[in-house]
Amino acid sequence: MSVVAAGAHTVPPEAPTAAAGEAIRLSQLTKRFAIRRGWGAALRRPLLRQWAPALEDITCTIAEGEFFGLLGPNGAGKTTLFKVLATLVLPDGGSAAVGGYDVVRQARRVRSILAPVITDERSLYWRLTARENLELYARLQDLPGETAPRRVSELLATVGLADAGRKLVGAFSSGMKQRLLIARALVARPRILLLDEPTRSLDPLSARAFRAFLREEISGRQGCTVLLATHNTEEALELCGRVAVLHRGRLLAVGAAADLIRQVGKERYRLWTRSPVLGSLAALEREGVVHQIATQPDAEGWARVDMDVAGGLEGAARVMDALSRAGASVGRFESVPRSLADLIEGIIERKRGSLDG
Amino acid sequence: MGKVLALVRANWLTAASYRFNLFVSLVSLIAMVIPVYFVAGALQPVMAKSIAGQGGEYFGFLLVGITTLMFLTTAVTSLPAALGSSVASGTFEALLGTRARLSEIVAGMVGYAFIWTTVRAFLLFAVGWMLGAPLVGEQSPAALLILGMIVLAYFPFGLFAAAGVLAFKTSGSLPAAVLTVSGLLGGVYYPTQVIPSWLQDLSAVIPLTYGLRALRAVVLEGGALSASAPDLAVLAGFIVLLFASSLYVFTRAVRHAKHAGTLAQY
Repeated sequence: MSVVAAGAHTVPPEAPTAAAGEAIRLSQLTKRFAIRRGWGAALRRPLLRQWAPALEDITCTIAEGEFFGLLGPNGAGKTTLFKVLATLVLPDGGSAAVGGYDVVRQARRVRSILAPVITDERSLYWRLTARENLELYARLQDLPGETAPRRVSELLATVGLADAGRKLVGAFSSGMKQRLLIARALVARPRILLLDEPTRSLDPLSARAFRAFLREEISGRQGCTVLLATHNTEEALELCGRVAVLHRGRLLAVGAAADLIRQVGKERYRLWTRSPVLGSLAALEREGVVHQIATQPDAEGWARVDMDVAGGLEGAARVMDALSRAGASVGRFESVPRSLADLIEGIIERKRGSLDG
Repeated sequence: MGKVLALVRANWLTAASYRFNLFVSLVSLIAMVIPVYFVAGALQPVMAKSIAGQGGEYFGFLLVGITTLMFLTTAVTSLPAALGSSVASGTFEALLGTRARLSEIVAGMVGYAFIWTTVRAFLLFAVGWMLGAPLVGEQSPAALLILGMIVLAYFPFGLFAAAGVLAFKTSGSLPAAVLTVSGLLGGVYYPTQVIPSWLQDLSAVIPLTYGLRALRAVVLEGGALSASAPDLAVLAGFIVLLFASSLYVFTRAVRHAKHAGTLAQY
């Protein structure tokens, strides 16, 4: 029997507990998976269980309407985090709330406002048409029978499949199937959409069109909160307002994408030159302005020089000055997107530095 | 109910897209009845005495047994098979991500298989009736009730097998073992009193023994449902016991798979 203090409000068990404007709240979320052992090890010590952490103490908040990136290499824990949010995997510790609803105790409520985009094409019914697939999910998502056909037509038009609605899904290209998977997730007008590497199987042109669709239609017009898991830094920077960097189950950093790069302190630049510039750059390297210089000659006499430059635009200006003073012939000097590996290394270095300091 | 029907419709549309398969499924059924009819006729003098209390006509006896075995097979194998393929394809994960309850998803997965089995059973009975099987049509409601109880007594084995699929990625040999033992000792092809006495003790713990005896008494003898009350009471006991334990095991298996993160692995 529960006792409620005088004057206290009794809160219905199904009521959300989110702060206003908060879509997702993760608090010390932890998940580990048992490691599968070989026959020999299992027979020698049958009761021993070994665990691999998938998520460790993840604490983070995502606001309503935000386009949030989850950046990390394979095995970082991105998919596990998505599955916890989609109520498909149970966490071991901490808590996760979606729209204020707890993912363990209020799983059905969570599923009523959040939709994971399962990017596996096989999860569609290939022997059914696109329309029949969406009609099925409209029923499963509680859409009334009279509004479902209109919603299905709307969605087919939204994802550019209006003319293909009566075609069997098995005859679709990968890009069309990906768009149908998105439409399936949008059937019930979810407030929150989870996208796990959605452009993985798309060609560069389709991927670009798909990113534009996500930004303009899903995030812009429909106003969805979007969580995008990717290991493509460029994609995360292009689409997301904020990103979280996950590595081996740990949240290394969260922040505005551009800030994160700036905080890490170095930007990657590429220089095309016909002159010997290593001497000039060596002086800057000693001063700590440039790092990680790598050169690669090409057949037409140009050399490509990649380098990390510290100090933002000031640092880049110092490199240009040095090259100008040396009379170097420069064809191009440009900032290039950092790879995920560079970003993670930079964050780890920075953390190590702050701990040492 | 709308969600269950939507899933049944999707499975029907999928099955209907394989037209040749549907055609073969029906034709093979008819092709099977003809030899059964002649074999039953040949064995009639041998079997007449032992099936005297269950219609006395061996073709009708076999027809009821084979039809019931079809439902049994569906009850035991349809869920683990559907679950296995939908886990492997990722459909199960997609379905679990919707607002549908697990019970609705399970019912929707197996609903079409039961409807198709019912269609095939009607066809089998129709062909059997045309060949002269002594079926008592007025007892259809009672027969359907008993058949429903037999299915309910065996669906839990399907749930156990499905739990195996979720927890261990295999249903093992459970469905085959249940069907073999029930087929051989439950009175499908011959009455249980003709099997050796030590095996008869085993047939007493098989739900089908009671279900088939009651079903034949109603369909072939035209007996009242109340006359089969003792057999139906035992069958009801099996249903309660097996359903309670299988539901517990299945929900535990789902929870285990969600904990282990293996819901989408096969």
